[in-house]
Amino acid sequence: MSQQHRAIVELHNITRTYIQGEIEVNAVSNLNLTISAGEFTTLCGPSGSGKTTVLNMIGALDEPTSGVVTIEGRNLTELNRSEISALRRDRIGFVFQSYNLIPVLTAYENAEFVLALQGVKPAERREQVMAILKEVGLEGLEHRRPDEISGGQQQRVAIARAIVTHPAIVLADEPTANVDSATAEALLDLMQELNQNDGVTFLFSTHDQRVIDRAKRVIHLRDGKLESDILQ
Amino acid sequence: MQLNRLAWKNLWRNKRRTLITGFSISLGVFLSVTFTGTGDYTYTNMIDASATMGLGHVTVEAKGFNDSPTLDKRLKNTAKLRSEIMQLDNVSNATVRIMGQAMFASASKSVGGSFLAINPTTESAEFNLLIRAITEGEIFSTNDHRGIIIGSVMAEKLKLKLGKKIVYTTTDVNGDIVGEVARIRAIFKTGLDEVDGAMVLLPIDQVRKTLGYTHDEASMITVIIADQRRAEEMSVQIAAIINNDEIETLSWQQTQRDLMGLITVDKTTNYLSQILIGLVIAAGILNTLLMGVMERTREFGIMMAIGMPPSVLFRLVILESFWLAILGLIMGVIITSPWYYYLYYIGLDFTEMFDEMGGYSAGGVLLDPVIHVRLFKESIIAILSGVFSLTLISGLYPAWKAVKTNPVDTLKTI
Repeated sequence: MSQQHRAIVELHNITRTYIQGEIEVNAVSNLNLTISAGEFTTLCGPSGSGKTTVLNMIGALDEPTSGVVTIEGRNLTELNRSEISALRRDRIGFVFQSYNLIPVLTAYENAEFVLALQGVKPAERREQVMAILKEVGLEGLEHRRPDEISGGQQQRVAIARAIVTHPAIVLADEPTANVDSATAEALLDLMQELNQNDGVTFLFSTHDQRVIDRAKRVIHLRDGKLESDILQ
Repeated sequence: MQLNRLAWKNLWRNKRRTLITGFSISLGVFLSVTFTGTGDYTYTNMIDASATMGLGHVTVEAKGFNDSPTLDKRLKNTAKLRSEIMQLDNVSNATVRIMGQAMFASASKSVGGSFLAINPTTESAEFNLLIRAITEGEIFSTNDHRGIIIGSVMAEKLKLKLGKKIVYTTTDVNGDIVGEVARIRAIFKTGLDEVDGAMVLLPIDQVRKTLGYTHDEASMITVIIADQRRAEEMSVQIAAIINNDEIETLSWQQTQRDLMGLITVDKTTNYLSQILIGLVIAAGILNTLLMGVMERTREFGIMMAIGMPPSVLFRLVILESFWLAILGLIMGVIITSPWYYYLYYIGLDFTEMFDEMGGYSAGGVLLDPVIHVRLFKESIIAILSGVFSLTLISGLYPAWKAVKTNPVDTLKTI
């Protein structure tokens, strides 16, 4: 199997059931899905279709009621809490809708955060963070705190934080929802470049047609089930 | 980016709240220094005053004399023993004394009391409160066999003045009644009626003759040491030098049980007050830290989502308590220092209040009406480490709460 088609995420017959009062609700039902290295994929569907639940389970933030989730061949249900933390730290990047940067840290420190958790040496961290900040267009803004930069710039910091560790996959939830059109386009350009040039795998959950239009693969969910899976 | 730096930055997210909490910690330091400092000063003052009233910090005496102080129980070779004791470090003075009961009579009246027979060449005002309290006359000389020093209340009761004669009667080593005539060389006034009305000083050589003691016998050797806290240790050290089963070496805690009891009760009350104040302050710190944690559950969720292990998150919150403790202690030292120096050098003068209460004593010991502070090194360490630990402990529950954060619950969407 080539590096490009190596499976990063595999969902085997996943079901996630929530209890609401006395009613059982299947947020996801018997879902099978594979995301390979280098993909630029969008999960879309109406509210309640299960997009977020799927992303949470791939991000090891939630566990399926039944079925198996594997990340690079590792079954998540077999990992303990610290192994899950390490997996999220080392192999998964997150880009949140509302940026979710740490407000007391500068752009540099936010981007450096996960590397510090990994125990990377300061000199090495500096080199990697400065390179990534340059790549996402934040050169010169590294000492600004989140409240001192625009929403688009904050999202760039979030992207830098997500990719600085070279994760297997970046999970991005509505990354363009809180920014204006021009900024959204610029962010998508950036992520597309990272995907095409550096081979970063992206999985989006979005309603944004601009994101859907740029995706190489679009997965439609409805009522927690796979409705369609289209390569563009 | 180090965890320490993040913790420090987190502390300053809400400056006002952090400063108020720092202030409450510093209030803890302030109260603790005040209570402990006045305690350390007052207890030392009482113990030292008590030691100079007759028995010293450590007393060397014939076995059983402390429980039943009769004149037939006596030490031998006192000069040699004294000389050996004086060689020890931390010993400021050692004096050979005879202590006993006697009746004191003038032409008009008689009263019962205690005598302390002393050697004027080895005694001094510094180590003998009764000499220090002389208000009229002077201490008798070595050759003055007829000299006596009495208290002002006894002088009043017996209607005697300086230079007048007084007769004292007691029992000798054989249990026979013996008496002597003496002339008042000085009158002391300590302010304690039970001392001024019942205690007298006599020349030891004369008392030895009167009681039938040899020239080297006495009731006790009283030892004054430089640091009262070492009394028990010195007592053991002196006992080891003497190494005689017929001789007892007792610390002030054993010879002055009333004073010991009073100090123990007072110390316990003092500590309990401090613990209660500490708990109130700890509740405030806990509240602040918990609020800080509850406000940041989403942020903790994000940190955990991007890979911060629970143990590191726990450490982060504990580090926030650590820096809060450091801040509070620094503020505490800044706020408390002027107050401490004021109390140390000037003090709080309660003379008027003590006068209204009719005395300056507690547990039979003179109290200084001006309250000062003095902190021993171990007290400083106890205060700082106590306040520090309290703050760190207050951070445990908020840290545990932070670790319990479930990223999915805090991040409605990733």
